[in-house]
Amino acid sequence: MTGRVIVITSGKGGVGKTTTNANIGTALARAGNKVVMIDTDLGLRNLDLLLGLENRIVYTIVDVVEERCKLKQALVKDKKNPNLCLLAAAQTRDKTAVTEEQLKDICEKLKKDFDFILVDCPAGIEQGFQNAVAGASEAIVVTTPEMSAVRDADRIIGLLEAKEEIESYKLLINRVRPNLIKSNDMMSVEDVVEILSAELIGIIPEDTGIITSTNKGEPIVNDDKSLAGMAYRNVAQRIMGEEVPFLNLEEETSVVAKVKKFFSNLIGKEK
Amino acid sequence: MSENILKELCNRLLSLFKQTETKEDNAKDIACNRLRVVLMQDRTNLTPELLQRMRRELIELLSKYVEMDKDALELNFDQEGDQMALMLSIPVIRAKDEEEIEKALAEEDSKKEEDEDDDASDEEIGEREEANEEDNDNDDETSEEEVEDEVEDDVEEEETEPEIVEEKTEKTKKEDKE
Repeated sequence: MTGRVIVITSGKGGVGKTTTNANIGTALARAGNKVVMIDTDLGLRNLDLLLGLENRIVYTIVDVVEERCKLKQALVKDKKNPNLCLLAAAQTRDKTAVTEEQLKDICEKLKKDFDFILVDCPAGIEQGFQNAVAGASEAIVVTTPEMSAVRDADRIIGLLEAKEEIESYKLLINRVRPNLIKSNDMMSVEDVVEILSAELIGIIPEDTGIITSTNKGEPIVNDDKSLAGMAYRNVAQRIMGEEVPFLNLEEETSVVAKVKKFFSNLIGKEK
Repeated sequence: MSENILKELCNRLLSLFKQTETKEDNAKDIACNRLRVVLMQDRTNLTPELLQRMRRELIELLSKYVEMDKDALELNFDQEGDQMALMLSIPVIRAKDEEEIEKALAEEDSKKEEDEDDDASDEEIGEREEANEEDNDNDDETSEEEVEDEVEDDVEEEETEPEIVEEKTEKTKKEDKE
């Protein structure tokens, strides 16, 4: 087996890298793939929380690198899905505890046993980013339709293009708010794609369900009713090479829109 | 009767929910435009000072051939896919006649000779080289051509009908903006 190593990165913090990682990983595993997620955010680990695995971590990536345990011992299995594993970051160390070479080496070893290796990259463009990217051949750049996030994504794309090992990168636009886009208060998906001139792999709507799912330690892809969950499942399918149309987020779901619709229907009937 | 009142009520309520007319200066367009400018600076490593300098040097260069509205000169980067282009739009006021052009060129030539004689100071050369390097980094070959093309067009048209050309350049300016 030769797995694909995909790094999930963004430049800016707080745009949803870790959430994206947890959800795409879970969705890929649900679809029957063997998936391992590597948290490379040393000192600021969070992927374990989003997956609800924080109490199961015994060894971290630093323990593997410093040979206190074998690689397989450090892989934490997901509660629900035996196809899904996590290699957690160390919370007590900084970004220098693991080198680019060591990460490359870990990715190479994991490739033999897994279909997908998802690397959760820390924010920023310093050594942490360089480490996370080192072993990957594909990248997903997460951004939101906000100026600062788009600017940082552009910077990251520039850096990824300069890396020979990265064969392709795709854009995932998170926290899309159709109502704000419709009122011309927010940049649209098309605007962001045009400005960054990158290929799109997913559009994820803003969803309050993300907050509750994070609180419960249960990725939202497991919620079959959630729109964001469906969008993430679609991303996973696209990663697997299937052609899935992008969700139509144009349909208004706000209260105002519903009231408006109600009244338009009423007038229609009156006539 | 009651039907009419209900209709009126509905219309009023609807108008409340209607979005205000789309203004050109809505938050989305402002964001897009600001981002485009800032990304061009990020991508090209051209700071506002360097852009200003480039602008100044271009004006200096082109002034030898045409008389133009220096304040209305627009210098923008455009992105089409992977290709970056430098867009230059200059309203031409008047074409210079042959004599003027020759005079300007002759002046420059004599200046150059002087410089060579003077063994141009090292500092100045260093600065120029720096500027050149910057240009090469940004693969401006095509961009330069584009600039030349545009200028050539302006000049050709100018020779026949100066007044119309002014309008035309204005037009191209608009197109560029779009």
